[in-house]
Amino acid sequence: MAELLVQQLVNWITLGCIYALLAIGFSLIFGVLNVIHFSHGDVAMTAPFITLGLAQALATALGASSPAWLVLAVPVAVLAVGLIGVLLDKVVIRRFRDAPAMMALVATVALGIVIRELIRHLYPQGSNPHAFPRLVSGMAFEISGVAISWFALLVVVLTVALVVMLFVFLRMTPLGLRIRAASEDRVVARMMGIRDARVFRATFFIASVIGAIAGLLFASYAGVTRFDFGVMAGLLGFSAAVIGGLGSMPGAILGGLIIAGIEVLAQTFVPDGASYRLVFVFLLVIAVLIFRPAGLLGRTVMEKV
Amino acid sequence: MERGASLAAPGIAAAASFAIASQLIGAAFLYLILRVDGGWQVLGLLALLGLGFYLLERLPWIADYALASFARVPLVAMVTAAVIVLAFPFFVGSNTYILHLLIVAELYAVLALALNFQLGSANIPNFATGASYGIGAYVSALLAINFGVSFWLTLPVAALAATLFGFIIGIPSMRTRDTYLALVTIAFGVVVQQLLNNFSWTGGPNGLVGIPAPSLFGHSFADPLVIFGWKLPSQANFYYLSAALVVVAIVTAHRLHGSRIGLAWNALRADEIAAKAQGINVAWFKVLAFAVDAFLAAFAGTIYAFYVSYISPDNFTFLVSVTIMTMVIVGGMDNIFGVIVGAFLLTILPEKLRAFADYRLLFFGVVIIGFLMIRPQGLFPQRMRRYGGEP
Repeated sequence: MAELLVQQLVNWITLGCIYALLAIGFSLIFGVLNVIHFSHGDVAMTAPFITLGLAQALATALGASSPAWLVLAVPVAVLAVGLIGVLLDKVVIRRFRDAPAMMALVATVALGIVIRELIRHLYPQGSNPHAFPRLVSGMAFEISGVAISWFALLVVVLTVALVVMLFVFLRMTPLGLRIRAASEDRVVARMMGIRDARVFRATFFIASVIGAIAGLLFASYAGVTRFDFGVMAGLLGFSAAVIGGLGSMPGAILGGLIIAGIEVLAQTFVPDGASYRLVFVFLLVIAVLIFRPAGLLGRTVMEKV
Repeated sequence: MERGASLAAPGIAAAASFAIASQLIGAAFLYLILRVDGGWQVLGLLALLGLGFYLLERLPWIADYALASFARVPLVAMVTAAVIVLAFPFFVGSNTYILHLLIVAELYAVLALALNFQLGSANIPNFATGASYGIGAYVSALLAINFGVSFWLTLPVAALAATLFGFIIGIPSMRTRDTYLALVTIAFGVVVQQLLNNFSWTGGPNGLVGIPAPSLFGHSFADPLVIFGWKLPSQANFYYLSAALVVVAIVTAHRLHGSRIGLAWNALRADEIAAKAQGINVAWFKVLAFAVDAFLAAFAGTIYAFYVSYISPDNFTFLVSVTIMTMVIVGGMDNIFGVIVGAFLLTILPEKLRAFADYRLLFFGVVIIGFLMIRPQGLFPQRMRRYGGEP
């Protein structure tokens, strides 16, 4: 029993970190642009494909084994996805920042379709699932008879590092200050001489880079990736961001942990829970929003006349 | 101004001929786009459509003139429309694929009109229309398969079940709003779809098969329809049935729009706090919008289930709800005519893009984004309410 508990605890933390990273992207973009970037999950899930494609291209070009090139391909893919995010913002999303919220939502859902279809067409045999290797393999150490994998350790360390870096960046750098200013009030920020175009660019780059890392970890955790994984990844990340409270970074992390928690709990303790896990997750989402309509850590905005 | 005034009041003859001609042109265009097959012809027709909307945009008096004409001779316009709808299958003839497209387009038109009560009239996001549609389809299919209940009886039962579901989703809508409410409805949609996918009595991922065809006055809908010696394929039965449902939906939408309920929804959209201050029961009208949406969507679901005689959870996914939302937004929120055009366009377009085979979804996504960027108000923007009298 203790073993099972520890094992599930590890699963929970791992999955929770991945969801939290996805949720941070949603929350960050919403905080600055007031737009739900629904295709964020799809953007994130391009990372594993870029990595795989790059590693294979390197392997064929240089004739060495593919996994060796993975290490090289990962950072390139992460940066590339960051740029994709900036590009999408410039071409599509920014145009909807003043439109009604639903319009932006539908536009980004359509954008998600476009991204998924592009993956499917551009990647060789893109309709099929592709195996994605564990970024690191092997067991790190043991806790009460349960071996903790290096991968789980990597996920946790990476998440903590990213969150700390993001925190430092937002609190202690001039650009971070500008991002916070723009998310507080874009018009006033502009009047103070902040170029909002730069803020948007930076926000999308950061959010997409974090999303790309989450996407890579997600594919690595599942051991496989497919062009339409972005839908579920996006939906779960979005849910995590919303139940945590949109615009709140601690909320995003909390939301990710909660969503992963209910998923793991359902899989472990409910008979046939694996197939019902999404039902539990989304029932929880509904329940949270009924009792905390602005999310757990979201600011409740009092509307005044 | 002079010209605008004279155009706003066309004579009866001019109005009648305009109403008839414009509808005939519309029908001819629909016929052509359904008939053509080559990729370039489709693109040509789309370009023509784009030109039409460009003209509408540049010359707004056309729309005013059209509205004035239709308002002048409502009876002529309605009779023309009825004749076109009734006669259309005769021109299509034995091409069942076109009839199938038309049926699906009609059902989506009903769904879009249903969603329009919320998204258009009250500006409440709802990503669960697909779920209501699915509940309608499953309830009626289960009743028909397991208990042999006739189609006509399952219609109201399915609608009632879906309405109940609408009320249930409506409850969180009293507290949440905007993005948060959108997520609640997404969550409901996913839960329903996942449950349909997992319960054994709904057939799981395999769905339900062998839903019997309905019959009316001894005429089974699976048989070809024979009218005055003309033999129409069996799909024509469902074509007329769905057309009748569209008419019901239009009348409902029109009546609701003109009633105090429609006015209350519009007030909610304009300013919730102001509406509350005017004594409008905000919570009740929000819930009501969900219920009405679910009710109509269930009708469409029932017809769909009996038409294809096979349903599976894949027919009612999150993306179906997104498609319905897109139809409302692209067509024009709170504009009954626009919503129907949006539904037809977005149903037929992906099918016609089959000429581009594998790339059609990609194309579809690009077209939607393009529409939203170029014409964010939708093809036919909502118009100001008119409270009688001359403008």
